[in-house]
Amino acid sequence: MRKVVCRCEDLTEEEIIHAIELGYDDIESLKRYTGATTGPCQGKGCLMHILRILSQKTGKSIDELGITTQRPPVNPVPLYILASSEEK
Amino acid sequence: MRVAIIGAGIAGLATAYFLAKEGIKVEVFEQKFLLHGASGRNSGGITAQFDDEELIKLAIRNEKLYDKLQSEIGFNFLLRKDGYLKLANSIEELGRIELQRKFGLKVKIMEAEEVRNIFEDINTEAFKFASFYPKGAIVFPWAVIWGLAKGCKDLGVKIYDFTKVEIVAEDGKVKGVKSGEFHEADVVVNAAGAWSKEINDKLGIKEEKRIIREEICVTESIKPYIDPYILHASEGLFLSQSMRGEIVGGIVGKSDGGMTSSLDFLIRYAKLVTRLVPKLKGLAVLRQWAGIYDETLDGKPKMCFSEIKGLYQLNGFGRKGMSIGLACAEIASKEILKFTQEE
Repeated sequence: MRKVVCRCEDLTEEEIIHAIELGYDDIESLKRYTGATTGPCQGKGCLMHILRILSQKTGKSIDELGITTQRPPVNPVPLYILASSEEK
Repeated sequence: MRVAIIGAGIAGLATAYFLAKEGIKVEVFEQKFLLHGASGRNSGGITAQFDDEELIKLAIRNEKLYDKLQSEIGFNFLLRKDGYLKLANSIEELGRIELQRKFGLKVKIMEAEEVRNIFEDINTEAFKFASFYPKGAIVFPWAVIWGLAKGCKDLGVKIYDFTKVEIVAEDGKVKGVKSGEFHEADVVVNAAGAWSKEINDKLGIKEEKRIIREEICVTESIKPYIDPYILHASEGLFLSQSMRGEIVGGIVGKSDGGMTSSLDFLIRYAKLVTRLVPKLKGLAVLRQWAGIYDETLDGKPKMCFSEIKGLYQLNGFGRKGMSIGLACAEIASKEILKFTQEE
């Protein structure tokens, strides 16, 4: 059975665990090495799963682990809409 | 003989790697996670199209070092040599072409219409001339850092992440670095990029440098089809397509500032990029971020021992770190090796 934890990047729980075991064991490094939270959902669907796995593997609490920097925009915005906006 | 390196970016890690290969005991200290600084925030454009002899030579050496290190370490940097396309509204803004050619760069000067042979969706109204450097490349910066870190670890280098250190110096000579605990070192390398100035400030070393903020964003992925890295030198716009298919682009930094991203940037970028490549207009921006780098007044890197004995400066790469960082690290490691042999 495959447990997919990040649907945008098609990452399974095993792949996340493997990356943690390679030493990418803080949330910012884990995100970058696996690509988790960098797809179209930007972490809205997967960040909590990733944190749960990381917490279980490292024994650290979710508070201790923190979360990745939340980057704008909240939802994807097409370039033509941005281009029609006014510059300050 | 022990060396402590501050900053686990391209320069710090490569220096650690070169020194460890010579049998030197090296420790690397990174204040945050690896990739937190400019080495993890840039867009991976690599070129030698510079306007200064020293920079051109460094960039040419750097190209060879990418090839060498990838095979030596056994790590794929995801580097592709699809060329670097510099666009401009005037010939002058393309830079010192004659100088580049004098040092062996095969740069091709083109008028706008010809550029469509390289990238057919480009809007030829949005620029007048182009300089194409076929050996220019796009690298995945994260893979470079992961690979260098692996190379270091394989040689026994200890990399401390989340460890912000201060330099300890006595009687005009470095003693080591301290975070909570003290790490003794005969040489300390300041390879802290945008944070190198604050490290020097604390030691009373004055330097004229600017800390520049630059912003980048990525769109959703489409099938890879844009080969070269593109920089519009007159407008400061740059873009390329990653192997994942995202369009990665931004605007060359001008002002000082922190690592916050802005809506103003997104709007300006969207206007510029949809003018240069109108077909991209339907793509959605997924994510944006900002990064900072340190730039010297003459635009050249600092690679030298400084007034405190044993303190080596390896910083001031500006936005050229991925193009010259390895070559600078090689020079640094040779000078440090010489210093340790003389001591």
